[in-house]
This record gives sequence, structure tokens and C-alpha cells, in this order.
Amino acid sequence: MNLLHATWTLARKDLRLYLRDRTGMLLGFGLPVVLVLTFGFVYKMAFGRQGGMTTTTLWVADLDQTDTSRAFLSALRANNMLSVRPRAGEDAAGADALRSKVEDGEAHHALVIQPGFAEELDAGRFPALTMYRDPDRTLEAQLVSIALMQSFFHAADPQQAAPLMTARALELAGLPEAWRERMQALARGFSGSVEALFLEAQAQDLLPAGAPGAEPAAPDFSTVMRGLIPVENVDIKPPDRPKELSYMLAHNVSGISVMMLMFGLVACGTLLIQEREQGTLRRLLLSAMPRRSILWGKFLFTAIIGVLQLALMFAVGELVFGVSLLHDPATLLVLSAALVFAVTAFGMLIASLARTTRQAEGLSTIIILVMSAVGGAWFPIQMFDLPLAGEIVAKCTLTWWAMSSFQGMFWHGKPWTDPSMLGQIGVLLAFGAIAAGCAGFAFRRRYVEA
Amino acid sequence: MVPTATSVLLEVQGLCYSYGGLKAADQVSFHVDRGEIFGLLGPNGAGKTTTICCVAGVKRPQEGTLRFAGADFTPSRCAEQRRRLGVVPQELALYDGLTARENLQFFAAVAGLRGAAARAAVERALELAGLVERAGDRVSTYSGGMKRRLNLVIGCLHDPELIILDEPTVGVDPQSRNHVFDALEALSGEGRTLLYTTHYMEEAERLCDRVAIMDCGRVIAAGPPPRLAEEAGIPGENLEQVFLKLTGKRLRDT
Repeated sequence: MNLLHATWTLARKDLRLYLRDRTGMLLGFGLPVVLVLTFGFVYKMAFGRQGGMTTTTLWVADLDQTDTSRAFLSALRANNMLSVRPRAGEDAAGADALRSKVEDGEAHHALVIQPGFAEELDAGRFPALTMYRDPDRTLEAQLVSIALMQSFFHAADPQQAAPLMTARALELAGLPEAWRERMQALARGFSGSVEALFLEAQAQDLLPAGAPGAEPAAPDFSTVMRGLIPVENVDIKPPDRPKELSYMLAHNVSGISVMMLMFGLVACGTLLIQEREQGTLRRLLLSAMPRRSILWGKFLFTAIIGVLQLALMFAVGELVFGVSLLHDPATLLVLSAALVFAVTAFGMLIASLARTTRQAEGLSTIIILVMSAVGGAWFPIQMFDLPLAGEIVAKCTLTWWAMSSFQGMFWHGKPWTDPSMLGQIGVLLAFGAIAAGCAGFAFRRRYVEA
Repeated sequence: MVPTATSVLLEVQGLCYSYGGLKAADQVSFHVDRGEIFGLLGPNGAGKTTTICCVAGVKRPQEGTLRFAGADFTPSRCAEQRRRLGVVPQELALYDGLTARENLQFFAAVAGLRGAAARAAVERALELAGLVERAGDRVSTYSGGMKRRLNLVIGCLHDPELIILDEPTVGVDPQSRNHVFDALEALSGEGRTLLYTTHYMEEAERLCDRVAIMDCGRVIAAGPPPRLAEEAGIPGENLEQVFLKLTGKRLRDT
């Protein structure tokens, strides 16, 4: 037999074996397709069809209720960087309700258009706006600032808005407040150049002092843009949120922990299949021990490993990143226990359904990766304004509830007794109970009552 | 031999089990007396394993009855009834990553043995398997014969009333096979009752007091080997010849 023939003979045999394992083949070809579809779906939900800038959610309460304030609100709704809530058909929320939403972590920015908005604008003054916000959500803060400026400019009479905003910009850049009238006059006529103003101010030593010998201070356009619309910011955040903790870091620690926990525990769950493949399961079934204990024994082992894995991952997060993940050990313990229960039951279900280790690994890989992407373990899908269908799909995953509860603890500093946390923990436990029930049923059907 | 209430340990009556349309056990009836080695003989696919799976409680008989020591026996549903049995499966059912002692300790605990009773059972099993010297080594380092012996003694750890052995010498080299025979004869010498399946007729002739020959899911003859030869009209012949006479085919042909 020559080399070519021998090679083809071996390859043909492997192809025959591969094609005969239909489940394995389905997983081999199906997994990439499922992942491509999942990511396409998630990115489309997050970034829209054009794949451009994401939108962020802004809750708004209009307490002025004038044509001017309504025009401003309409301009905010029309802005493609914002998804303004409440949506059409949702109940309007008052200032206190908006504040509660930020306190509860349901919203990160909430704008109150105060009474007198139109009157102030007519009088040539900036109207009163109050923003309840989570000060550490900096990415969303920038989007909201830009959107506010654009919307204000579009909504207000240009003859009112342009002088106000120009004067505000120059004031923020360092020109004295006492020159406001002059700045507005300049803006109305736009007879002089901004550069001339700076040169004049510099000559009179009125610009903010820079380092000796440095170039004259230039306007910080980032600050200028963000501050063009003066808003009274009310910062709301848990008093004990660690300074080192960023939203993305908290998300990453939670997300990676949840995903790796799922992988680890499903792998442990496949021990049930290994027991069958090595013949020891039959021996256990033949013994005098209650047959239910076989499944519960695996459950207990897997849960112990899960708790240890979580503890290790959080300890590393604590030690390496210096963030205070363990500041509320009771909540961490309750959440971890609920998550480990849910994930362990999920692993047991896969182990009870799959016929071989290979099937279990393939099936779990697909499910875990899809749940991680859709449920927000890989990137904070909770940041995005999801369409209703996307939100429903995301909330059908275990990862969504796990991420929401861990973010509730890490980021919003909620204890496990908080009603919203209790709800999320309840959903995790319900996931676990349903999966455990199905696993028990499948185990009895497949192994005990054969 | 006419069974009496006191001598019969296990009685199988009209047992049926099908896989879809395939009848693996069809009206199987036999009994096992206390203290004997009873052999279920037949070629591969004759229904031996299905029959002992029903006896052991792995499968629930679709028809027929089981009686153990004179009482109804449903081991598939009753853990306490399973405790009266010791099963040695055909395939090696061991944890390769554990030592022989650890395997025995685990299965002793599974069988409900605790403390001194468990320790004594483990030591006795190690001696019976001839593995005292290697008790602390991982099973993965054992030869096939050593694993086979360990596999056997695990089924006897809890001193069951009936030990069921499903082809315990399949794939075993002659030397290890003799070790297995020695162990079985030692168990029999202690007065244990053994239900033994095999498709090696010479094994059955060497070990069994009585045998039931199975073919195509049915018991076609039962009794002591010499008497089966007489009833088949070939007195003095071995069981291989009896099977040929009864079925018209050799064991190796099936």
C-alpha cells in the first residue's frame, strides 16, 4: 500500500466514524453557527444595524410641562445617543421616583426638568435642570452630556440658545463671568473671533494660571462640551463603594466568575457519565444505597467545588485588583450559594440528558457560551438599551440574573435582604429547582427505571 | 431435585423481558438452592445477562415473578432487598484513581458497613483477592487479572446471601482465571450461594453444582451437568456436546 492510499484509507475510516456520531457532528458544525448567530444578535441589539455608537438610557421627568419643556423632551427622544424613559405608554415618573431608580441601580442617569424651565429660558438664563446620577458611570455621563447639549440646541430658539451656550462655553474656558453680557453680545453678532478674546484675556492675565514658561492655557474642549448645559448634579452611590472599583472591573470579575463557574461545574457534572462509562454507576445502582443519593452525591460534590472556585476567584479579585469584593460577606455567601445551586443543578441536568461525555461537553459549551453572551457575562449588556425581545431573551438566561445580582452587590452595594436582590436570588433558586427537578426526572428515566 | 421451601434461596418463574420487539428473556424459570453454585450457561445473546439484570434489580421484569427465601422479591424497587445480593458485573467497575483499599472502603460504605465491620470486611476481601501486598497501590497500576479479582471481591464485601457473577472470566488470561476460580471455590467453601453466568462450558463443569442452559432467551435444560448429558442421550459427554445435541449448533457458532 503506498503512502497516498494508506493516508486516504485512514482518513476515510475517521470520516466514517465522525459521520456516524451524529450528535458529535451536529455539535462540531452547529457550535460555530450558534456562536456566530448569538454574537450577531447581541451586537445588533447593542449597537443597532449601523454598528455605530451605542445608546444609553436616560430617565426624564418633565415638571415644567410647557411647550418649551416638551420640545426639549422631544429633542432628547429624537437624539440617537439616548433611549429616553419612560417610553410611550409607560407611566410618567416624578423626581422622587427617578431618584429611587438611581439609588436602586435601575437607572444610572435621571434628568428632572424643573418647573420654570421655559420662563428661565425666556429670561435669557439657563433653565434649572437636575441630574440624579451614578458618578462612576463615566462612559454614560459623556454620552448624556453630549446628547443634552445637542437636544438643548435643537429645542430652544437659536436666538436664545446660541448666545447662552456660547457665553457658557467661553466662561468654562476661563473668561470672567463678569464679561457675560459682552460674550453674549459677541455671540449674537459674532463680530469677533474666539481667539481674539483669548488673546485679550491672556494679555490682561485673566486666564487660569499655567505652569511657569508653559504655553497659554487653551480651552479644555472636553470640559467645555460636557458643561455647556449647566445641570445641578446630584451624585448617588453607595457610601462604601471602593475607590478602586470601576463598573467594568466589577462586571468583569462577576462575569468571568459566573462563566468559569458554569464551565467548572458542568465538567464536574459529567462525572455521572464517567461513572456510567466505567461501569461503577451500575454497581452503585445495585447497592443498597438509595438511588437518589447517587445524583445528590454528585450534586453535593459539585456544589462544594463550586463554592471553592467562587471563593478563589473572588479572593484573587480582592488581592490582585485591590477592590473590596468581600465587604459584605453575608450577601456574597447568599449569592454564591444561590448561584452554585442553580449552576450545579444545570450541570446535573446536562449530565442526565447527555449519553456520553463528549455529548455533555459539546452541549454545555454551546449553552454556556450562548448564555454568557446573551446574559451579559462577557460584556455589560445591561448597559445597553435592549429591544423588548432582546430583554426577554436575556432574562431567560441564568447568567442575566446572576450578573444582575452580583452587580447589585458589587456596584450598588445592596445587601441580600434588599427586595430587588431577593427577587434576583429567588429567580436563581427557581432556575436551580427546575433544573434539579428535570435532572432527577431524567436520571430516573435513564438510569433507575431502565 | 425437587425444591423445598428451606433449600431454595432464589426462585425465578416465567420471567420475560423484551427490548422493543426482541425477546431477550422468554418465560425463564429456574431456582437456586442455598449453598450451591448455579450456572446460567449459553452463548452470547442467549439472555443470561438480561436475566440476571432482572434478578439483581437493574431491570424490572415485564412478566414473571421472583421469590427470595420464600418471599416476593422486587430488588429494582427495594434497596433493602438489594442488600441481600452481591453483584459482580461483567465489566470492571472500579475507580482506577483510587487504591484497592480505597475502592473497598468506598464500596463497603456504599453497602452500609461501618467502623470495625467495614475494616474487617476490607481486610478479608484483600486476602481473598490476594492483593494484601498491593493494597496501597492505585488500581490503574494493576494487571488485568488483579483488577478482575478486586472486581470480584467487591461484590462479596457485605456478606450477601446470594452472589451473582456475570461472566467474571471474560478477557482474563489463564493464570488469572485460575485465581478467580480459587476465589470462587473459597467462597463456595464458606457456604455462600453463587449464581454464575458464563459461555465457557468447561468453567461450568468445573464449578457448578447445577446449570441452566439458555438459548434465544429460553431455558432449554436445567440440572446437574452429568444428568443433562444423560437426559440428552449422550451420557458421559461434556456440556459442549449437550448444547450441540439440544440446539444443533456449537457454542462458538452463535
